[in-house]
Amino acid sequence: MSDTQTPPEAPVAASKLILPFMDAVRQVFKKMAGVDTTVNRPHLKTQASASYDVCGIIGFSGQITGSVVVSFSDSAAEKLIEAFAGMKLDRSHPDFADAVGELANMIAGSAKQHLGATASISVPSVVIGKGYTVANMSNAPCVVIPCGSPYGEFAVEVSIRQNRSS
Amino acid sequence: MNFNPEEIYQIASTIWEAQLELPVELLKIAEIEDRKRSIVVCVQISGAWKGAIVLDCPPQVARHAASIMFAAEPANVTVSDMQDAVAELVNMIGGNFKSLLPETCFLALPEVIEGGNYSIRATGSRRLGQVDFACEGESVSIAILEKLLDEAAAA
Repeated sequence: MSDTQTPPEAPVAASKLILPFMDAVRQVFKKMAGVDTTVNRPHLKTQASASYDVCGIIGFSGQITGSVVVSFSDSAAEKLIEAFAGMKLDRSHPDFADAVGELANMIAGSAKQHLGATASISVPSVVIGKGYTVANMSNAPCVVIPCGSPYGEFAVEVSIRQNRSS
Repeated sequence: MNFNPEEIYQIASTIWEAQLELPVELLKIAEIEDRKRSIVVCVQISGAWKGAIVLDCPPQVARHAASIMFAAEPANVTVSDMQDAVAELVNMIGGNFKSLLPETCFLALPEVIEGGNYSIRATGSRRLGQVDFACEGESVSIAILEKLLDEAAAA
């Protein structure tokens, strides 16, 4: 990301919905890809564009609604997917997108267990390319969790809310 | 689930004509051309049936739809308005589509992707079918996806 200004920090109220994702990132990459990741201070998303070029999107429904986007830089995606899949996969290969979706699914699924609410997660959608934007819910803030790995940067964008009436 | 394209087209044409007052015409897939930019909205369905509805809408149609839905001049419609309009159309399609599904199913919030030079794939699902129709000379497509993987994989 090329923000020159310091983005606003995530509100404290959102932390109980964000912390499970921070833990999930560390655990999933360590367990499934053998990769140690760093999770940096979350901040509010201030621009509409996708953080990086390869995105896995998971929708939440039920007591938690919204979406989570796991977004990788090109180089990080290729190397992290290689570590996860145990083989090098070309970006154009369907298995590459499936692997990105599966990582997003695992992160969302792991975090879901600790959100304290009943929710279903969707089939992952994977977007690969440049010059696209993933719109977030207008009635929930989008919190970006910047992450690092030996293979490059990635981010988890969490835009979910807990429904009181559910 | 058995996919009936006629039912999907009926749902879409009713929404387009009732909500937007825009006539539509069913197309053969062969008539669809690639376009440089589009707004793709995916709404996931969970519950007794798991899958998704994916609407691929050209910007021209999205702009016209937004101008009608938000009573704005087309020139004043923003990208955000266009995204909201297409998301609302998918919500309506999803709400009607639910009536074809077994009890009880839930619609997730729509995922909206806008731009060009990208590909989108719903992993762990198979495409049951696709309906394409023309609106104001532009093609709009609706794909129905069914989830293959069990959510237990994520638990």
